[in-house]
Amino acid sequence: MAKMMYRDAVRSTIFEAMERDERVVVLGEDVVGGMGTAGGPEAIGGIWSTSTGFYDAFGPDRVIDTPISESAIVGAAGGLALAGKKPIAELMFADFIGVSLDQIWNQIAKFRYMFGGKSTCPAIIRMAYGGGFNAAAQHSQSVHHFLTAMPGLKVVMPSTPEDVRGLLREALRGDDPVIFLEHKALYGVTGEVPDGDWTIPFGHARLTRAGQDLTLVATGLMVSRCEAAADALAKDGIGCDVIDLRTTSPMDEEAILDSVEVTGRLVVVDEAPQRCSLATDISALAAQKAFASLKAPIEMVCAPHSPVPFALELEQAYLPSAAKIEAAARKVLGYR
Amino acid sequence: MSKLRPFCMPKWGIEMTEGTIAEWMVGEGDRVKRGDTLCLIETAKITNEVEAENDCVILRVLAPAGQDVLPVGALLAVFGDDDVPAAEVDAFIAAFVPAEGGVGEAPVASGDKPAKPAAAPAAAPKKIATNRPISPEALALAEREGADLDAIEGSGRGGRITYQDVYQHLRPQAAPVLRGAAELAPEDLRIFASPLARRLAALHGVDLSGLTGTGPRGRISKHDVLAAVPAPASGGAAFVAVANTPRIAPFDKVRGVIAQRLTAAKRDIPHFYLRVAVDVDALLALRKTANLVLGIKASINDYLVLAAGKALARHPDVNVQLHGDAVHHFPHADIAVAVASPKGLVTPIVRQVDRMTLPQLAAATAAQIDKAKAGRLSWEDLDGGTFTISNLGMFGIDDFDAVINPPQGAILAVGRARREAVETADGGIDFATRISLTLSVDHRAIDGAAGAQFLATLKGLIEDPEQLFG
Repeated sequence: MAKMMYRDAVRSTIFEAMERDERVVVLGEDVVGGMGTAGGPEAIGGIWSTSTGFYDAFGPDRVIDTPISESAIVGAAGGLALAGKKPIAELMFADFIGVSLDQIWNQIAKFRYMFGGKSTCPAIIRMAYGGGFNAAAQHSQSVHHFLTAMPGLKVVMPSTPEDVRGLLREALRGDDPVIFLEHKALYGVTGEVPDGDWTIPFGHARLTRAGQDLTLVATGLMVSRCEAAADALAKDGIGCDVIDLRTTSPMDEEAILDSVEVTGRLVVVDEAPQRCSLATDISALAAQKAFASLKAPIEMVCAPHSPVPFALELEQAYLPSAAKIEAAARKVLGYR
Repeated sequence: MSKLRPFCMPKWGIEMTEGTIAEWMVGEGDRVKRGDTLCLIETAKITNEVEAENDCVILRVLAPAGQDVLPVGALLAVFGDDDVPAAEVDAFIAAFVPAEGGVGEAPVASGDKPAKPAAAPAAAPKKIATNRPISPEALALAEREGADLDAIEGSGRGGRITYQDVYQHLRPQAAPVLRGAAELAPEDLRIFASPLARRLAALHGVDLSGLTGTGPRGRISKHDVLAAVPAPASGGAAFVAVANTPRIAPFDKVRGVIAQRLTAAKRDIPHFYLRVAVDVDALLALRKTANLVLGIKASINDYLVLAAGKALARHPDVNVQLHGDAVHHFPHADIAVAVASPKGLVTPIVRQVDRMTLPQLAAATAAQIDKAKAGRLSWEDLDGGTFTISNLGMFGIDDFDAVINPPQGAILAVGRARREAVETADGGIDFATRISLTLSVDHRAIDGAAGAQFLATLKGLIEDPEQLFG
């Protein structure tokens, strides 16, 4: 078992896939990241250093720097996938997905369906999302909820280096388009990654803390904040289930409902604003299918309905914190 | 024409919202005189006799005695000055609108105009003027129940107060039943099992690797694990369990109030406990003579109550009630004596014990205990009190820690008298009769030293009981 950073898990898993499968190609803005468009020995491999060394190892045919055009990148990835390649496109910031929504939503998500299953589109679209980096309103958003709402896409949100590896491998071995959302604040996080050839199936949540009093559901960066809240609550004898969903489409509904059956209390944590979010979706699921188990109204800890602030202090206040999660948990526990 | 009068559920205090007719002393058609007892009404705190305010005829009894809980203001019966045709009484009842606040006997209404239409509904809502955003139902609830909107934080958009916010505010704090953390089985990536399935497998010792999943995409679900839980091995004649069905006894009002108050006391009051053993041989000897001389039947408990009253008078810093942030010091000791009545623990109060003589005290205590046992304690018997004595010595309890009865500052727990070996002045061994006294003290109002000094005075009075007659 090796210790590695989240960003290294991304890099090494793609590198391994490119070694193993000639069809895997990487494309995106600055994925070569060298001293000029042709790349070179100093290439840093994109702004997140997730393709360092790729250009030297696999050359310009499989590591392709693109113009700054998200619609072109996603469109090209869709075309490559239809033509038999396994493209991994990098969009840098998820915030800029808007200009490629037609390619994602109307094209690659629907190819398999509209071609009657005669063609598949195994394109992986990687992007960094989330706040906490003082990167302002256009570089800090969480967009998983509206991607999750699009039928035909798999949406993956790993929270640990181990999950990056297992889930990215699963994406590479499947035939469907996958949105792979990497949280900016997690790139520097280090964790154990088991050796061997294993994958994590989509739609299979991870239970990171087990308790019988309250269920906390989260994704990405919010998982560790839920864990911190759960640890604080544990000092008062309050046991929390912390569920890391890992993928939001498909979503592990059974894990949520099973847990709520045990605890009877649910707090959903989501980095996006609450309205029409993953949090409201999960809350509706529990309200619909676990109503009889609930002992208190469901609480949601989400961002305010506002753009992500630039000022560091405001941004910290904007994001769900462990303290806010703990307060919501205590509110749910205090319901009478 | 005869005047008809409604008899409604009275309101005997700000907290009273409902009551139950425990017993009717009169029946339909009875003619009663002013001052006659009409019925017994039981509330969460007390049972009170209700007397007729005028001479009248009981024309109709609408609320039978029993367990029906009726709101304040509910129509219980109709009285008249004379016999009135049934149809007229029926019309009066049909047209009756409960008055605001709830009254024992509503203002007299004539038979022609059976009842004055009241604008307000039964529970006497009080209008609340507020600029805060609040839902109409929430405002109605707050007005109905007299909720303080300033104390409520709205959970809606822009701080809007919802019905649930008010409802939650009005309900007493509940301590959730916590079950704590559960064992977390490490995830084996080679086995595809749901989180709950893994927990259950760890709990029941099921090996997941041998299971076939029936969940989505072949995942092992909780049902697969539960199906694989091994049946317990049988040896010889199996023990057959019979149904262990509980008899469910919901709290009656008294029990409910006891539970609520004592839970709050134990949770909110920082108790500390002072314990002392007191020699009572002198007291026991004196009691025999004194009771003979005085011609009374004072119990040991009466002597202890008297001693506590005199000790409290000397230590006004223990003779206190705590109200919010203020400590109320009382010059005289109103001592609540805990009595196990048929309805549960009640604490009637003996007033100004420090000013009483022993015969006065014995008579007052006996009267209160009789009332408690008959379930006829009034609000005045239970309200206030500056100190409580709880004696479980008669049940063979050595010593115990009593829970403070708020707003009082302290309670004295008295254990049984027992013979103990004690060292004599010359180093020998003698036997003495001792009781254990435990003072539970609210540390917010009373310091340790004050409590200790009070106990020392009390010990001195008991061990030298002639002082009680000084």
